[in-house]
Amino acid sequence: MFNILSLLFKYIFIIIIYMFIFSIIRLIYLDIKGMNNTALGGAYLKLVNRKDSIPFKINEYYSIGEGLTLGRRGDNDIVIKDPYVSKDHFQIVKDEDEYFLEDLNSANGTYLNGERIQDVVPLKDGDRIRVGNIDFLFVNKGM
Amino acid sequence: MLDTNIRPSTPRRLLFLYEILALILLFIYQKDNLDQYIIGIGIGLILLVHISNYLLLKISKGDNYIFLIATMLMSIGLIMIYRIDSQAGVRQLMWLALGIFFFYISYFLVRYLKGLNRLIYIYIGLAYFLFILTFLLGKRTYGAINWIRVFGVSFQPAEITKLILIFILASFYYQYENFKEMKYSSYILMAIAYSFIGLLFLQRDLGMAVIFYAIFLAIQFIYEEDRKLILLNIGLAVLGAIIAYQAFSHVRIRVATWIDPWQYIDDKGYQITQSLFAIAEGGFFGKGLGLGHPHFIPLAYNDFIFSAICEELGVFTGMGIIMLFLLLVYRGFKIALGQSNLFYRILALGISTLFGVQSFIILGGVLKVIPLTGITLPFVAYGGTSILSSFIALGILQAASEDFEWRMSDD
Repeated sequence: MFNILSLLFKYIFIIIIYMFIFSIIRLIYLDIKGMNNTALGGAYLKLVNRKDSIPFKINEYYSIGEGLTLGRRGDNDIVIKDPYVSKDHFQIVKDEDEYFLEDLNSANGTYLNGERIQDVVPLKDGDRIRVGNIDFLFVNKGM
Repeated sequence: MLDTNIRPSTPRRLLFLYEILALILLFIYQKDNLDQYIIGIGIGLILLVHISNYLLLKISKGDNYIFLIATMLMSIGLIMIYRIDSQAGVRQLMWLALGIFFFYISYFLVRYLKGLNRLIYIYIGLAYFLFILTFLLGKRTYGAINWIRVFGVSFQPAEITKLILIFILASFYYQYENFKEMKYSSYILMAIAYSFIGLLFLQRDLGMAVIFYAIFLAIQFIYEEDRKLILLNIGLAVLGAIIAYQAFSHVRIRVATWIDPWQYIDDKGYQITQSLFAIAEGGFFGKGLGLGHPHFIPLAYNDFIFSAICEELGVFTGMGIIMLFLLLVYRGFKIALGQSNLFYRILALGISTLFGVQSFIILGGVLKVIPLTGITLPFVAYGGTSILSSFIALGILQAASEDFEWRMSDD
């Protein structure tokens, strides 16, 4: 009885160990893929939260370039399928080497360094932008 | 295939499944003479692994793979040790619990203590103190004086000294610009490292001497600006190896039993041949847990645990263990690359080198790839100080995986 079980289990153990290794490799792969666009330079948003604590698809870094929009709808630059996020939530626009953050009348608001923003505000390096439970760090080393 | 979504909790669930199945099997294995330990060890292991993994996820914003890999390795090891010797299994569980406790302590110390990078003289003093302590209080086991007994607990100071060496190197190259003004500072550092290695040789702890040398060379290779020194070092290593081979009989025995263990099968080569027999006996899928004969392997739950695992769980499991170590070392280098603070970067680098070299030396030894030296397989093998120092090293690596400069601007 024990012998049969043991013979059976040794295959199961090997399968489990390899699935474990494979799942870690896959997570690491997704992790690396998410940070590919950091090499672009210029200003970018960095996710402050631990990436795998967020139950929907999100990248670790977003390059801003000439500006970007964030929202739940598919045609935004950053799409976040969080019910807390409005269809069009906020946008960042670039104007003469300065970046400005603007809330697009979102239901739950956009917070800059802990305060809910009302109007268009300028961004500086190290600012924290909060949407729902998601924290971004604004990084602009070029200034 | 790699692109499909995967829940981050998947590896944790697989680990849980593995532990449950292995424990059920051990439970059936021992049903005729069931002792009170099996329930305790089962609950203990599962709680230990999963509570600590869960806590770490809450506390640390850094890497969350290294600890998971370490807990997988320790689960495989603990189940094997318990199957060989249930008493040792219970002791190992206690060491693991203590090890994880030390993991958190070292994590918090490295994370919150500032000025760790300025204590180079204290590190050097501490290292020499531990060496002197070993010579004064040491006792000889298996040809090496590397154990001291304090309050009835055997303790191997070199396991701690290897971490101190990493701190010495990290603080030296962190303040490299200051030290460069001092004449011959790199030579002094080299003399200190060589004195450590020489002392280890006198203790006949060859495996540890190789680890020290590898860590020193790896960090020097990356950060030393005086490139002549590196060539000098490699030359000295070759010279040292030749002299050691000529001068010390125990080095010659190691090499002779490595080249042809069959000739010494009744005496010195016995360990290696038994290890090879066990691995061959297991084949790809192993004999099955509880169906092999690990009692024929000397030091089966210590230095030769890898052979015992290969015999009962198969060469595939053995390759899995090697892959887990590769992943661990890879993550370590990744952490080092991502860390912007030089001190913590060198720490991460040194610890990754440590894990890589240590597992290579012992795995290579039991597989007859390189001469056998008695060191432990990190996280898997039985052994108090080794488990503690591996977990302390892991805690430092975990702390180094966090973004220090960002935290300082945040506070």
